[in-house]
Amino acid sequence: MLKLNPIVIYELVVTFFLAFWFLATILCQFKETKISSFIRYKIDYFNLIPLWTFFAPHPGKRDYHLLYRDKITDIDYSDWQEMEITEERTIWSWLWNPEKRDKKILSDVVQSLVSSIPSYREKAGSLNLLMFSMPYIIVLHAVSQYKKQSQNCYRQFMLAESSGYQKETAPSLILLSVFHQI
Amino acid sequence: MILLNDISQTVLIILSIGLLISTLEYLKKVQIFSPNGLLSWNVMQLKWTKQDEKSFFKPLFKLFSAPGLAALFIIRCLLIIGLLFFPLQSTTGWVLISLLGVSLLVASLVTYYGSDGSDQMSMLIIITLILCNLPAFTTGKLRDIGIWFIGLQACLSYTVAGIAKLVSAEWRSGTAIKDVFSTKTYGSKKASLLLQKYPSANRFLCWNVIIMETIFPLCLILPWQYAIVFLIWGFIFHFFTALIMGLNSFFWAFMATYPAIYFINHQMPWHLF
Repeated sequence: MLKLNPIVIYELVVTFFLAFWFLATILCQFKETKISSFIRYKIDYFNLIPLWTFFAPHPGKRDYHLLYRDKITDIDYSDWQEMEITEERTIWSWLWNPEKRDKKILSDVVQSLVSSIPSYREKAGSLNLLMFSMPYIIVLHAVSQYKKQSQNCYRQFMLAESSGYQKETAPSLILLSVFHQI
Repeated sequence: MILLNDISQTVLIILSIGLLISTLEYLKKVQIFSPNGLLSWNVMQLKWTKQDEKSFFKPLFKLFSAPGLAALFIIRCLLIIGLLFFPLQSTTGWVLISLLGVSLLVASLVTYYGSDGSDQMSMLIIITLILCNLPAFTTGKLRDIGIWFIGLQACLSYTVAGIAKLVSAEWRSGTAIKDVFSTKTYGSKKASLLLQKYPSANRFLCWNVIIMETIFPLCLILPWQYAIVFLIWGFIFHFFTALIMGLNSFFWAFMATYPAIYFINHQMPWHLF
């Protein structure tokens, strides 16, 4: 017969917690279900439930590019400027690689934006509501920090993708924003 | 004085090296949290739309500026260094690792974008070590349960990654690694050119990763002399992903789980043959 004392109770609570964590991790892999959505979006505030499907089923085989331009007059625009995010690594990147954070942030934001485009098209019939989404605002915020052409500036951004070192595929457009007053 | 003959302590030491590097990397890039940075709190706080969430996390919100997070990262570095001098089982060691865990949880609220599987594995290990080493409440059995949890999560991660690749046509056809290596984000020009020149090497690498990841949990039940093959493969795999893809933090986070796998393997009352 198990004698309950604070140590045994603590051991049971931690064991059940770890078992639940392990089970929740299994449930949240692969296909998104009602349970996995509930765990991921309603319970997991701290991002503690991992998704272990690294680089699969679709390996990230495209580089993302973020460009912006300003409206100078109604018919005149500045040249497109690219935000530097895909710089090449150094020989020490296997040990020390702070640059990976910027790349990963932008990659996550763009992937989140790209994956939400079909649902916005389907639900709203247009992409206007996409402008209120978190990833869109992050991208707009990032490009709006660069030097403006004038005080009262209107800026447009473009998300594009390319196949990195493989030159056989041409870069393609993902999203072209409207002009935003910044 | 800390001793490496304790599995939990060995896990913590290996993980600490990676966490120290990762925290210093965040310190170097702390401007991403400034008002004009990619993860500016002015924007990131929009994630918390519900009033109850906002009021629950509000005390922390002042911390999410570049200076606030820089202070948090410096404190985290000091905690990690402190853990080199105080064993996990001591009260001081437990307080240090608990504060480290709190710093990771707090920062995770603002690094919603940009964190990766290694950050999640690190957090998972730290929280498990905190829960399973609470002074006065912990038992040898609970410490063992914690180590089992870490080892099983590691095996689950490899298997899930392997199965996800197995169902992917791009991985099965043997083009995935070449395509990933071709990107500037995770690739390398030299590796990409090499794989373009030798397509069979590309196919071999893809299938090598698919098979080894999928059957990785066998390392728990095979006799140790065979099980170690999986750990050596994992070491080489993570070393090269760090070298070619720049995924340095994955190396430390996953190497930290290997002592747990060793422990489980040696606790198994039976082996496959």
